[in-house]
Amino acid sequence: MTEAVRLDAVSKVYGRGRSAVAALREVSIAIPRGTFTAVMGPSGSGKSTFLHCAAGLDVPSSGSVRLGGTDLAGMDENALTELRRRRIGFVFQAFNLVSALTVTENITLPLMLAGTRVDQGWLREVVRRVGLDGRAGHRPAELSGGQQQRVAIARALVTRPEVVFGDEPTGALDTMTARDVLTLLREVVSGLGQTVVMVTHDPVAASYADNVLFLADGRIVDAMAAPTAEKVAGRMTGLGAWN
Amino acid sequence: MISFALRMLRHRKAGFAGAFVALLCAAALVTACGMLLDTGLRGGVAPERYAGAPVIVAGDQYVRQAKESGKEKAKLLSERRWVPASLAQDLARVPGVTKVVTEVTFPYAGFTAHGWESAALTPFTLAEGRAPKAADEVVVDARHAGRAIPGHRVVGVTAQALPGQDTIFFATGEARRLAGREGLVTAIGVWPGVEVTVKGAVAYTGDERGAVEFPAAENSRVRLISLGGALGGTSLLVAILVVVGTFALSMQQRRREIALLRAVGALPGQVRRLVGGEALLIGAVAGALGSGAGILLGFWLRSRFVDLGAMPANLRLVVSPFPPIVAVLTTLVAAWVAARVSARRTARIRPVEALGETAMPAAGIPPVRLVAGLLALAGGVVLTIVLSGLNTEAASSPVTMLTALVWTIAVALLGPLVARAVTALPLRAPGVAGYLARKSLRAGTGRLASVIVPLTLMTAMTCTILFVQTTMGHAAQSELSAGVRADHVLGPGASAAAARQVPGVRAVTEVLRTSVRIDLEKYAVQAVTPVGLDRTMDLGVVAGSLDGLGDTSAAISRTAADRLDAGLGDRLRLVLGDGTPAEVRVVAIYARGLGFGDLTLSRELVAGHVDDPRGTVLVSGGDREALHRASGVPVLDGAGTAQVESPNAAVTYVAMGLIIAFCAIAVVNTLAMSTLARSRELALLRVVGTTRRQAARMLRAETLTATVVAVALGSAISLVTLAAFSAGMTGSALPYVPPVAYLAVIAAVAALALVATAVPGRFALSSRPADTLAARE
Repeated sequence: MTEAVRLDAVSKVYGRGRSAVAALREVSIAIPRGTFTAVMGPSGSGKSTFLHCAAGLDVPSSGSVRLGGTDLAGMDENALTELRRRRIGFVFQAFNLVSALTVTENITLPLMLAGTRVDQGWLREVVRRVGLDGRAGHRPAELSGGQQQRVAIARALVTRPEVVFGDEPTGALDTMTARDVLTLLREVVSGLGQTVVMVTHDPVAASYADNVLFLADGRIVDAMAAPTAEKVAGRMTGLGAWN
Repeated sequence: MISFALRMLRHRKAGFAGAFVALLCAAALVTACGMLLDTGLRGGVAPERYAGAPVIVAGDQYVRQAKESGKEKAKLLSERRWVPASLAQDLARVPGVTKVVTEVTFPYAGFTAHGWESAALTPFTLAEGRAPKAADEVVVDARHAGRAIPGHRVVGVTAQALPGQDTIFFATGEARRLAGREGLVTAIGVWPGVEVTVKGAVAYTGDERGAVEFPAAENSRVRLISLGGALGGTSLLVAILVVVGTFALSMQQRRREIALLRAVGALPGQVRRLVGGEALLIGAVAGALGSGAGILLGFWLRSRFVDLGAMPANLRLVVSPFPPIVAVLTTLVAAWVAARVSARRTARIRPVEALGETAMPAAGIPPVRLVAGLLALAGGVVLTIVLSGLNTEAASSPVTMLTALVWTIAVALLGPLVARAVTALPLRAPGVAGYLARKSLRAGTGRLASVIVPLTLMTAMTCTILFVQTTMGHAAQSELSAGVRADHVLGPGASAAAARQVPGVRAVTEVLRTSVRIDLEKYAVQAVTPVGLDRTMDLGVVAGSLDGLGDTSAAISRTAADRLDAGLGDRLRLVLGDGTPAEVRVVAIYARGLGFGDLTLSRELVAGHVDDPRGTVLVSGGDREALHRASGVPVLDGAGTAQVESPNAAVTYVAMGLIIAFCAIAVVNTLAMSTLARSRELALLRVVGTTRRQAARMLRAETLTATVVAVALGSAISLVTLAAFSAGMTGSALPYVPPVAYLAVIAAVAALALVATAVPGRFALSSRPADTLAARE
């Protein structure tokens, strides 16, 4: 099995009857292990829904989602939660740390919730890799936006998940800081063999990925390997994103 | 989870302050009520006059009746039960008894009077002079040395004086004559402290002797049980309502944080445990501090009650660890329940919400809550119907509070619907602020709902508490003003015979107030001299006639007749105040029972069975000055009359005032929490060009909207409750609400709400908006 995540004919419909809106229509895709995938699309294209369904945060209306060899269909909320905390890492747009906890505690929060022992060696390794040496005892409020995002990435990595999902992880950062965070994500994939799936609207961010998926109107309309910012921007313009 | 909860608490102190304050107040209230209840159950009065006698044999101060279930029920008598003097001889014959002393007690000119025979009970000894021998000789206590007693010669002064009573001694024979109960004595002292059993009397030792000596203290002790219970129960319900509200609000404000926890892998159960753990921690600290404050509150309440005459100063407040322990436990339970209720909500928070900006949630109403709300509504209806059928104050008072509370709980549960309905109304305040207020109320119906609840609670409770009293007082007063025909009222101790001699006097009625028990139920009684009764009072007789009123007959009020299912000519078996059974025939039924009492008996029947046979005297005709000269007591106007204001109303105001204060704290709490949580939103408004003044006005407009809705709901709740109460108690569904008092309540609620919005609003608006926006959660 070389796929980390596989979606088969996944549809998601919000609402019922006449007011029903299809956010995803029959999406099928396999994301290989150890790759960095960016998901792009104009607003309303269904990229957030794609991420939620792939990550087990939301249940598709039809179709199947597989994480590794596990079918998510039929799992209840508790089972999904346990799956998420063992096998999936998340990095959100911003403000995704618990302000009452220190950097280390935020990083180990998923382990604490799972009741798992902390592997100190791995924790040190993660903290070093994301560049937070010497910040372990700080609280989120004492960190810059970029540093906070590094804590979130460390938290996503600490459980050695099969996939890390990012929802606009650089959306709230300035250009320089965003570049640092993206470089870090790139290293995580290249250096640790981690699978990362990231939703973004920024062609520059997408250019750090191995593959870019383009969504429009709930469908995957295109894919691009070895992207550059220019190529991605051109493709997006073609989708009418910046009209 | 607990250590995690502790960190959350430490970090978000401000967010939990509201819940903490609510729980602290709840713990204080429960502790104070618990102390009253505890005192009622276990409190005692140290004997003063009986302190010198190890055993006091006196009448059983309870009327007892075996119920069908075989259990015996006992009720405290309102007057002292006397025992035959012949018991003294029986007691003297008990082996081991060396000395027996009999005593009579009766009021005399402000003194507690006895025969010199009983001096040894205390013991009283002479400091100077000699014992009284002749009928006109008296001995006074040390406090009254040198005081002249009109009509008597002071022949001696005792070395002692009792702290709680002024004592005067007559010669033994004269005392028995003045007490007016042939062959009976109040109590018998027995030496030494051996166990004696006597038929028809009870042997009291230790503090039990105090209960015999001070029947009033015993009465108020028993009253404390029901007062403490009712107050404690009401405050507990209010507390749970307030605490649940506060918790729910803080959960609303923590949605994002909880969503984040869920997203990184917290199970719904873990979130519930976290919230529960936080609640228990706050509950423990608030409970401990609150019960400490509650003990002080208990002492304060006691001193208020003593000042109001509702509790004798010598009834000791029982201070035991139980009330604080119970308070801490109830606080923990309340906090836990509140956390469970609000955690139901958090379980529905989807982890996805952590991924994006969460909008202020619309006030949706989950099915469980809707059902609970409808059940509460149904409960309110049922209680209202029940209440309208209750015609005794003892039953009616607690049910009244409960009815108002259950209606309020229904409003709290259905609050989101109310809020949605309100925001759907096509109303708008003028100006930018009005526009903003309207928009933000629409967007945040959940917030509006949570603000409406404490305001409604405060309005409903305050109106109900205040206007129950005015309704009763007004009904009794209007019956009295309509029914009293006498021109003058002479205070206690007036001589009716002297009043009859005053020229121009057409009729004189002596009125004595006491109570009797029928089937253990208490009925207020006025005992009157029947001659010329129709010229001094009009009871509003609806059947029969008062002409035949004598010592084997009775007139009863319509309410009492309903309760007893009695009609004209029926026989009633009643137990007089001192436990003496009597049988009377109903000769009349009258309408004005609230003003004049449930039963009207002849004075002849009752006078020998009360502790204080002096009553008031109603006089028709005659000149006020002349009456004053002849009777030697103050003369009141017939219209401004008769019924002595009971301390009950004042006690209710003090006790229930605490609950109103608690509601007020809840209002401040909720508004402050809700306003402070909006500093980000306010900063945003300021950044896009809203002036500070406009933002403050917007807040004010929102609070005013909530207040108007809450006042309307609260008034409706208390109006329904009061109407039911009034229908039951006075027979008319129209409660008496003085407009000025009502307006004052509304003004107070509105002022409180505005201040509680303006102060935190000013605080939230004081920092530079850019800083507020830059600051991260």
